[in-house]
Amino acid sequence: MIDNQYHCPEGGFLECKNFFCEHGQRLSEILHLCSDIIEKIGKGDTSPKIDLKVERYAVQRLIDSINKLREEIESLIDLNHGLAIGICEHFEVLRKLQKGNFSVKASEDSPIEIVRMLGALINKQRDRFIEYIDRIKTQHKDILELYEQQNMILSSVGVAIIVVEEDMTIEFANDEFEMLTGYSKREIEGKMKWTEFFTEEMLDKMIEYHKLRRISPSLAPRQYSSKIKDRSGQIKEVLMNVAMIPYTKKSIASIIDMTERKKIEEQLIHSQKMESLGVLSGKIAHEFNNVLTSILGFATLLESKAEDETLKGYTVRIIESCQRAKSFVKNLLTFSRKEEIGEIKRLNLKEYLANFQGFIEPLVGSDIKVMLKLPEKEIFYKIEPTHLEVILMNLITNARDAMPDGGEITLSLKEISLDTEYHFTHPLIKPGLYVMLCVTDTGKGMDEETKSRIFEPFFTTKPKGKGTGLGLSTVFGLIKQYGGHIHVYSEVGKGTTFKIYLPQTEKDFSSIDRESLKGKEVLLVVDDETNTRQYIASLLRDYGYEVYEATNGNEALEIYEKIKDRVSLCLVDLVMPGMTGLELMKKLRQISPSIKTILMSGYPVQFKDIVSIEKTLSGDEILYKLREILNEKE
Amino acid sequence: MADRLIDYRGLKCPYPILKLSATYPNFKEGEIVEVLGDCPTFEKDIKAWCSKLGKTILNLEKHGNTIKVTIRI
Ligand SMILES: Nc1ncnc2c1ncn2[C@@H]1O[C@H](COP(=O)(O)OP(=O)(O)OP(=O)(O)O)[C@@H](O)[C@H]1O
Ligand SMILES: [Mg+2]
Repeated sequence: MIDNQYHCPEGGFLECKNFFCEHGQRLSEILHLCSDIIEKIGKGDTSPKIDLKVERYAVQRLIDSINKLREEIESLIDLNHGLAIGICEHFEVLRKLQKGNFSVKASEDSPIEIVRMLGALINKQRDRFIEYIDRIKTQHKDILELYEQQNMILSSVGVAIIVVEEDMTIEFANDEFEMLTGYSKREIEGKMKWTEFFTEEMLDKMIEYHKLRRISPSLAPRQYSSKIKDRSGQIKEVLMNVAMIPYTKKSIASIIDMTERKKIEEQLIHSQKMESLGVLSGKIAHEFNNVLTSILGFATLLESKAEDETLKGYTVRIIESCQRAKSFVKNLLTFSRKEEIGEIKRLNLKEYLANFQGFIEPLVGSDIKVMLKLPEKEIFYKIEPTHLEVILMNLITNARDAMPDGGEITLSLKEISLDTEYHFTHPLIKPGLYVMLCVTDTGKGMDEETKSRIFEPFFTTKPKGKGTGLGLSTVFGLIKQYGGHIHVYSEVGKGTTFKIYLPQTEKDFSSIDRESLKGKEVLLVVDDETNTRQYIASLLRDYGYEVYEATNGNEALEIYEKIKDRVSLCLVDLVMPGMTGLELMKKLRQISPSIKTILMSGYPVQFKDIVSIEKTLSGDEILYKLREILNEKE
Repeated sequence: MADRLIDYRGLKCPYPILKLSATYPNFKEGEIVEVLGDCPTFEKDIKAWCSKLGKTILNLEKHGNTIKVTIRI
């Protein structure tokens, strides 16, 4: 310790000439101490302080100054370190953010205001980023959904659609395009060029359009007729509809098969023609009937009053003619569907036809052989026997007339189910179960011209007095009354077939063997509605089936995983909360592609490749349908 | 064994941590680095740096004025 009591009698330390003076020693120690401290401060070590009090003013000032310097430098160094560590820290956060790690956060606790603010700024920026990213994510999801919806639309519009790239590669094709061309999407998409489908004669034109459209869309026609060839080389007349897809060099084309269209159009025109003919002939027949009634009335009156035998004879002839005319009118009324049908009993068609054979053989003569093709099982149908008789008699007499030199008539009966596909080509026919009656002859047949007019009233090719031309129009009218359809297939010189489709509105189960509805298979019933599910499950159990129940899609998948080796069929409700019936069926198919499924719905639905039943059906109907599917071969 | 050695001897604080911040992003994550420094405040600085940036100090040795810190990046 430096003793500050010391006094220099010589007048001050600095001027001391006495080499041996002990105070001189002291002073130099103090100066050395000061130098050491300054050096340390210079290196950044601000910990030591000079804790000395000396008398000498100059020395004390030096010490004070050094202490002051130390303090100031210390605060500068603190600031420096604070800034440095703050920068390092924020730098690290920014670096991580830049790498996409948004879980980091900058600290906002630095004692230096600007560093704190920088931290807060980085965090705000980070939050903003996260917000943008979330927004982009939802947009991305929306876009994906939109894309999926778009695809769904494109694949379900029912018209062939393709998307073509600039180099003519087909990027997308839908189911209809597959059907139109016979190639599968896998073969087409990204692999085949649109030009491969063009016919020779159309090639140049279509390539030109393709190029023109990309230069200026308005230069190429939006719609034009063309021809394309399918896998088998068959040429199809088509109507093209082409447009550019915005922001791309791709075009989208819809292709309508006009060959099919024309056929369908003809069917529609024909049915409309028959409809208006019906209305017209109905009116005429009605008026005519009134006139006939009064002629007949007065003629009958005249007959009873006439005394002259010749006059009486004439009157009888008038009455007879009137009665003939009345029966024409009746036929016309049938054609125009003015006749009401009352309560009808169920007719056993198989039995009826079997009996009918004996009745027609004498009618057609011995040159013509009549054959019957009847199904094994009984078919019941609600139809007035006289109506059926009129239909068959007309078809058979026509067949006979077409075979003056003899031949064969085949009468056949069967039950068929017309599917959605048939509905596409015959839009007037609803898909469903039908009774089909066929009358085939080996006669002279008809040309197209005749065929298109046969159902018109009074159309006949037979000589005067032989045919009235009302036969087929009566048949047509009757079949319409039952909601049925009649189709003709004929080839000149070979023969003719009339096919009658009568809709089976309700299945008649009285003829069905209950035993045949039973089964031992394992079934999975999926329905969220407890009542329905339990009803169906217990019905199935009653008939011998082993039934598992699930209340929703996920549960169904869980159960299915466990018992999939034993399950023969899954009955799935269409509308369920969460996973829908269709989604579930898709997932089940992913697990086992050959799985049999039946879709249950509260109302009639139609899906491609999916068997569906309405839940409102009777138990027998459900069991019957189920057996049908189960009996189908894999 | 350390994967690398960085010598900051002779450098005044806070240069060492600023330099370390700038160079270490080139290192692999999990690498072990030995850092030498002799500035009087080096120990305080490097400890603060490690805690703020979430790096682990595995070892700290003093040899006279020199401090050797082993860090996992
Ligand atoms: N099986 C058939 N083979 C060939 N042509 C047929 C056949 N059935 C009908 N046709 C043609 O259809 C026409 C119309 O038949 P439709 O039964 O309506 O009248 P029709 O037989 O001429 O007279 P009607 O039946 O009143 O005596 C016939 O004149 C005939 O040209
Ligand atoms: Mg006829």
